[in-house]
Amino acid sequence: MTVRNSLLAILSGQSAHGYALKSTFEDSTAGTWTLNIGQVYTTLDRLERDGLVEGVSSDDPKRRTWQITEAGRKELSGWYEAPVLDDPPARDELAIKVLLAVAADGVDLTDLIQRQREATMEKLQGYTRHKRRADPDEQLPWLLMLDALVLKAEAQLKWLDLCEERLRDRRAR
Amino acid sequence: MGPVTMTLRRGELAAVMGPSGSGKSTLLSLAGALDQPTEGQVLVGGIDLASLRPAVLADLRRRTVGSVFQDFNLLPGLNARENVSLPLELDRVPLHEARAAAEAALGRVGLGDLAHRFPDDLSGGERQRIAIARAFVGTKSLLLADEPTGALDSVTGERIMRLLRELCDAGLSAIVATHNASHAAWCDRVLYLKDGQLAGSPDSVSAAGGA
Ligand SMILES: Nc1ncnc2c1ncn2[C@@H]1O[C@H](COP(=O)(O)OP(=O)(O)OP(=O)(O)O)[C@@H](O)[C@H]1O
Ligand SMILES: [Mg+2]
Repeated sequence: MTVRNSLLAILSGQSAHGYALKSTFEDSTAGTWTLNIGQVYTTLDRLERDGLVEGVSSDDPKRRTWQITEAGRKELSGWYEAPVLDDPPARDELAIKVLLAVAADGVDLTDLIQRQREATMEKLQGYTRHKRRADPDEQLPWLLMLDALVLKAEAQLKWLDLCEERLRDRRAR
Repeated sequence: MGPVTMTLRRGELAAVMGPSGSGKSTLLSLAGALDQPTEGQVLVGGIDLASLRPAVLADLRRRTVGSVFQDFNLLPGLNARENVSLPLELDRVPLHEARAAAEAALGRVGLGDLAHRFPDDLSGGERQRIAIARAFVGTKSLLLADEPTGALDSVTGERIMRLLRELCDAGLSAIVATHNASHAAWCDRVLYLKDGQLAGSPDSVSAAGGA
């Protein structure tokens, strides 16, 4: 769904070839999401089938320029209007691992949590180094993406703190 | 506090994290000789601080260590420049020199234009930058910051960390106690305290390098 709507979003600005769509998509997701060109063409075919885009100028998919239709614009504004709900929530491997470790015998949770904390902090330090170098005017999408990654890592670290506190409380009782 | 060994190199910015009561503030006070241990030693450059005469220690501390706190601790009756130059004046640095150094320090924290403002007429972020200028003005080489971003929103807090990062890149050394992981990530190294002990493997974290 995201790729489909993202291509519509890009085409709403200007008509483009498949390859230009791929690189614009990758630029606007700050390189955190790469598409292969085959995926772009398949998505465009489906969008065309649904009447949301139309190919002009050539029958060869590689040379075709694509433009958004009226129906495509309607679909796109529906996407912008609908809040994003992570529903059902994406699976969280760390949470599942910790829950299983709590239920299991013989797993040293203190060690597990501390190792995870250090690894997540290392990632966070990496994002922060990128943030330092990012130009807030020239690289706004990149900076916003980094902010999102930073806050996710921070949330994970807070959750680890909370796990540790709850485990400590349980031991104290 | 349990035994804690930490090495802080010149130009290094280190964070201390850990739950409330884990000893972050205590570690900072001991490291800056603002407090003495009931037991054990604090070695700085291989010298046991307790072996120094109190007057020598006080002198050393005043000249080399600056502190920053969550609530800024500026004197409300003095303007920004006077707040920053006060520690130098108390150290009997000639007035014109103290002023010039204070103005230079305010320039480095980006507040050269607000030297005449009083703390009440400044935002929290600006007050904290002034407190930082006061903490490194003169010959200070070690800055201890206890939750310096605690009272600030996240964007302003990040600006403070960026500033500390720049100051350390220019040769200052600093230790920051913080609960905020995103702010700790601006540091070269993150130490975790738990019940007065270091947790985990600071070396592996230090190898990752900083922002
Ligand atoms: N002067 C003192 N004498 C004896 N014990 C003290 C003294 N100061 C603090 N403590 C104790 O030492 C422990 C560590 O306190 P400290 O203030 O260093 O924690 P902290 O990690 O800074 O916590 P917070 O995140 O809440 O600021 C606490 O149990 C505290 O009660
Ligand atoms: Mg404290």
